Amino acid sequence: MPFFAGEIFVSEIYKKPVLDQTGEEIGKLKDIIVGNGEPFPAVTSLAVVSGNDTYLIPWENVNLFNKRVISINVLVKDLGPACIAPTDILIYRDLLDKQIVDINGAKLVRVNDLELGDVKGKLCLVAADIGLRGLLRRLGVEKRGEKFFSLFNYKLQHKLIAWHYVQTLEPRVSRLTLTVSGQKVSSMHPADLAGIISEVSQKERTAIFGSLDVDTAAEALHELEPHVQVDIIDDMSKERASDILERMPPDEAADVLGDMPEAKAQELINLMEREEAEDVQELMEHEDNTAGGLMTTEYLAFPPDMTVEEAIRELRLEAPDVETIYYLFIVDRDEKIVGVLSLKHLILATPQTLLSDIMTTPAKTLPLDAAKKDVAEFISKYNLLAAPVVDENMVMHGIVTVDDVVDFLLPTASRKKRRKR
Amino acid sequence: MLNKKKILVFLSVLGPGIITANVDNDAGGIATYSVAGAHFGYSLLWTLIPITIALIVVQEMVARMGVVTGKTLADLIRENFGVKATFLLMLSLLLADMGNTVAEFAGWASAMEIFGVSKYVSVPIGAFAVWLLVVKGTYRFVERIFLIACTVFLTYVVSAYLVHPPWGQIMIDTVRPSFDFKASYLMMLIGVVGTTIAPWMQFYLQSAVVEKNIKVENYGASRMDVIVGCIMTDVIAFFIIVACAATMYAGGIRITDARDAAVALAPLAGKHASVLFAIGLANASLFAASILPLATAYYVCEGMGWESGIDKNFKTAPQFMWLYTGIIVIGALIILIPNAPLIPIMLVSQVVNGIMLPFVLIFMLILINDRDLMGEYTNSKTFDIIAWATVVIMVALTLALVVTSFL
Repeated sequence: MPFFAGEIFVSEIYKKPVLDQTGEEIGKLKDIIVGNGEPFPAVTSLAVVSGNDTYLIPWENVNLFNKRVISINVLVKDLGPACIAPTDILIYRDLLDKQIVDINGAKLVRVNDLELGDVKGKLCLVAADIGLRGLLRRLGVEKRGEKFFSLFNYKLQHKLIAWHYVQTLEPRVSRLTLTVSGQKVSSMHPADLAGIISEVSQKERTAIFGSLDVDTAAEALHELEPHVQVDIIDDMSKERASDILERMPPDEAADVLGDMPEAKAQELINLMEREEAEDVQELMEHEDNTAGGLMTTEYLAFPPDMTVEEAIRELRLEAPDVETIYYLFIVDRDEKIVGVLSLKHLILATPQTLLSDIMTTPAKTLPLDAAKKDVAEFISKYNLLAAPVVDENMVMHGIVTVDDVVDFLLPTASRKKRRKR
Repeated sequence: MLNKKKILVFLSVLGPGIITANVDNDAGGIATYSVAGAHFGYSLLWTLIPITIALIVVQEMVARMGVVTGKTLADLIRENFGVKATFLLMLSLLLADMGNTVAEFAGWASAMEIFGVSKYVSVPIGAFAVWLLVVKGTYRFVERIFLIACTVFLTYVVSAYLVHPPWGQIMIDTVRPSFDFKASYLMMLIGVVGTTIAPWMQFYLQSAVVEKNIKVENYGASRMDVIVGCIMTDVIAFFIIVACAATMYAGGIRITDARDAAVALAPLAGKHASVLFAIGLANASLFAASILPLATAYYVCEGMGWESGIDKNFKTAPQFMWLYTGIIVIGALIILIPNAPLIPIMLVSQVVNGIMLPFVLIFMLILINDRDLMGEYTNSKTFDIIAWATVVIMVALTLALVVTSFL
């Protein structure tokens, strides 16, 4: 059983001589191979290089492992040269200096150093150092740096991120963090996630998206810029792409598909479930920047002769599938809108009241071809969270929610900043 | 229909290559070309064709790396060559770019002095405008301003036209290599070639390509962007040399910088030619002064793993904002200090540039031939030979420039 104590930064042992039983040097430490671990990847073997030969030394054969000495309990002559499998994950080659996602801080950072430590008797990769101190250590001036900063009464802190709050980006390495932090990434706010996704390269983007569950992927996707959305969908298998599109609100799915080549969009729509596909298809027929193009077809609609009690029961059933539940739209048998009712009014009314008695009428409506600017002004003027969209016969087709036009309501500068991310 | 689509793709990808190549014609570049024309007439024109080819070969590789990997050159160097190499490279770049920025503000100040504006007015205004443009503008807005600035370089074409040079003679000298073993001629030759490929350009171009999110399918358009930019740059250089050769060389007038050239043009070719020349210089200097500090702040932060981005502020990206602001403020202040040692500062920056260039170019060649990174987009065998040859020649000439600058 190898003996090691305390924490070791990998930069401190890089190219350290590795000794065999007799104290003879067999070569220099070239890399450290880690395997899948929960939650910390454990060291499985050491790669030692001597001249042109590389030896792989299984962790069981390591005697001492610390900053000063690395020794093994086999003899040089018993070691056969080994080659490193392409699937192996090497600390220096694959992790050091690469970018990772700091899940708590919700940002991209660069790995300056990595810390190994004891986890239940195993030597594991426990943390990534992303701070200035790690940088100075790599440059070989940690001590001097500390002194220098102490002149200014500034204590140079370690800036470590525990490995389970790390998400790696390289596709090959991602299985090291997938199981645990795959869920962690999902716990990030979709807008933060989208911010990170728009900063990394296409390959890394695909890796992150691959690690997300369908619902998180759908939420993150709609926060991204149109051309990035198209790139990501392009890279995915068609089945996964259509699954994700299904989970998005139909108006957003229609936006994404609208930016893709027609043939590809149609192919994806055909793979979607029928009901969702029909909604999306309908929405795609409207011009992009009109009420018809902005609206979603998922909303709450009830007949006027329903009682409040029934409505609340229905609401509980339907609410999970709709974007906003703050307004109930009252439509007659021909789907013509006759009034609107806020959630507040619904809850405050007595159970046996008919919806037609408490609804506001006539409802403020938008025509299908209203321009985005007019939609924004309309929503702002009447202080609405959502507005119904109707055709010339007052038949209701969908609703535009305030988040569809909030970009338009913001001052120009902040809008641009938002888009840039 | 197909053609229309191709043009649209080109226009959407256009920008990084053209802008980078044009910044190459900065205050220092214009000064070099002016002196080359004034002292050696048309005899250095032929070098522009090989220079253009070298520029295209090098710039094409960085653009390709940007498109294929989606990572900036600073990122790639950090990930493949470690902290030490990156740190030293970034420190050198910072130093060299600082010096270049001083040179740009000097160019801006001297151009404005031709119009009777004191440097104590022009430099602070210029520096503030540059700072504001980037801090308050969006990428697209900034790029548009830069592209407009590129078209202002056409003033040199008009300047050259106004001096009525002997076009037949010029065409012959452009394609017929001539050589002179006089030391001064060789030094000028080295100077002209040496100003062409600077380390920072490689970083800037690749970052700009990455920022534009150009897809691999559209790489062809991106390559066109690079080629058009390189040709345009050297066409401008051509007209600067012609304008100075036709007037000052013919009249036996000696100059030391671009400002001299603009002033000397007035009696020889009329006020318009002189004014256009000065406008070109002012534009080129300010253009480069706005790109250099920004590019430097970007790649230093990328390499060291600090937050960067123009949509950040002093709190969220302190290193980035301080670097960017610091380079502009120090660059401008040095010009305003009476009797500041401008020449040594620029000399140091030129030397650092020259020493750094081999490393940057060789790192680039290693990276672009890395199959893990580039997949099928590594250099082809033939192109690789051309690339290595170009790099070796550029490195030799740049080092020669460093040596001659001490003579």
